[in-house]
Amino acid sequence: MDENSSARLKRRLFGIVYRVGLFLAMLTICLPGLWIVLSSLRPTVEIMAKPPVWIPQDISFDAYVAMFSGIGKGGIPVIEYFRNSLIISVTSTVIAVAIGMAGGYAFARYRFRGKSGVFLGLMLTRTVPGIALSLPLFFLYVRLGIIDTHFGLILAYVALNVPFTIWLIDGFFRQVPKDLAEAAQIDGCTRWQAFWQVEFPLAGPGIASAAIFAFLTCWNEFALASQLTRSVSAKTLPVGLLDYTAEFTIDWRGMCALAVVMIIPALTLTYIVQKHLVGGLTSGAVKG
Amino acid sequence: MKGFKPSAPFLLLLPAIIVLAAVVVVPLLLSLYSSFTPFRLTKPETFFVFVGFRNYLSILGNTDFWWAFGRTVLLLTIALNLEMLLGLGLAMLVEKATRGQRILRTLMMFPMMFSPILVGFQFKFMFNDNIGLVNNALQSLGITRDAIPWLIEGHLAFIAISIAEIWSSTAIFAILILAGLLAMPKEPIEAARVDGCTPWQTFRYVTWPFVMPFAYIAMTIRSLDVARAYDIVKIMTDGGPAGRTELLWTLVARTAYSDGRMGMANAMAYFSILLSIAFTVYFFNKLAAARTQIGAEW
Repeated sequence: MDENSSARLKRRLFGIVYRVGLFLAMLTICLPGLWIVLSSLRPTVEIMAKPPVWIPQDISFDAYVAMFSGIGKGGIPVIEYFRNSLIISVTSTVIAVAIGMAGGYAFARYRFRGKSGVFLGLMLTRTVPGIALSLPLFFLYVRLGIIDTHFGLILAYVALNVPFTIWLIDGFFRQVPKDLAEAAQIDGCTRWQAFWQVEFPLAGPGIASAAIFAFLTCWNEFALASQLTRSVSAKTLPVGLLDYTAEFTIDWRGMCALAVVMIIPALTLTYIVQKHLVGGLTSGAVKG
Repeated sequence: MKGFKPSAPFLLLLPAIIVLAAVVVVPLLLSLYSSFTPFRLTKPETFFVFVGFRNYLSILGNTDFWWAFGRTVLLLTIALNLEMLLGLGLAMLVEKATRGQRILRTLMMFPMMFSPILVGFQFKFMFNDNIGLVNNALQSLGITRDAIPWLIEGHLAFIAISIAEIWSSTAIFAILILAGLLAMPKEPIEAARVDGCTPWQTFRYVTWPFVMPFAYIAMTIRSLDVARAYDIVKIMTDGGPAGRTELLWTLVARTAYSDGRMGMANAMAYFSILLSIAFTVYFFNKLAAARTQIGAEW
């Protein structure tokens, strides 16, 4: 039975290696984020300390207090930025999802000539790098007088989100069997009714996650926002982050605090959608 | 076309087409035009001077531009390949877990929630030569005595940027490949084992072909958004030190907004657009091929 015990030993060894590997991988993934949260809660002296202080000695919320206490007291107009971010992200998400639903439905339910080509064409508009797109948009927006406004950024973000929203929503409608809507139509529904009363509720969770994905894209976007906004009236949070950098110095603690403010909504929303998001992206990769 | 009545899918796609035409296509045509002019922001009248291919010709002879171009391609190649490998490894680690898989999956998605600009800032903080986590850890462990000038030395800065980029995007690969692993039927693997395949053979000839379409979906999604490295680089080094980490996108931004040479910047921007399109079309075709291979409908 020597072979048996050596096999058992091998298996146990493998188990330990596996656990260590998994732990290290998860540590690498989570540590940078945790470090930001920790740094936002410790006094500046500790951040700058040499030799480093690993475990915070005293927790302080000074960075958060300073951030909200306005310009002049080490704060930035964070409430305005937050409001701008929220207005711009929500509005453009709603519009993008409405357009995406129409488009996604078209791809999922109809056969038409050049379908694959149209789909690729829509996707290609998404590949244009934000900074490359910002050049003509900047020029146009200045001419039209919509630079540094909510409207300008909303318009840009709708266009940014539509291709991907179509891709996701297309996937979710594919998962809803065609027969259901047909059965409803046989029972006397119009196509419109069949859509709203049968297919839409079934694809609902998926569409919600497409919406959250679109929201996050707007919430996190920087390249366009940094060029198309100038002042407190339209700057979003990612652009506001730069307020903490001066010519030669960076207020690390303040930045960490603002980073936490930015991450929390994103974290919550991503957690809610994670399951549907993966389903939507991969539908069509496997049959059924 | 049946008579004058437009078809239903056309009507449904119309809003999307209108928006994209108005916000993407028309501005891009405008920028295409202005790439043939010596347009400067400070001199609006130069918008109407036509110089033909002069901008493009001067780009062809511009060594800084070609360095930035090469560096961008290098970064994308390194980052995408490593993200793919690490994502695959991570997905297989998590798939093996018997307990707490849901929690692991959520943790795995953690970097996806970070805006690229936050990733840039966070790694700038961690790679800071004086107070950064990386140097502190290395010094405490006694691996190095001196502070390593991560973001100050050209090659190290490039490595630091690659690490930031890989950290932020591996999650997409891992999560999609994991979805593929979980959706895979178990019988073929068991059959392969019964027939005497080694674990490597099982992986290479059974698991991998099945997971490949998922990997290409991840690739396609990533290539739609390759330019987000701009945010990371902009924050971490802003193209420095002395232009050693300048990418195509930071170069475009600098030429346009700092130097105000819009015409030239637009010409450069077209190279970056073509690069993105090339990446996307390449992976999109791979994806379509992989899908046909496993017989999925498209």
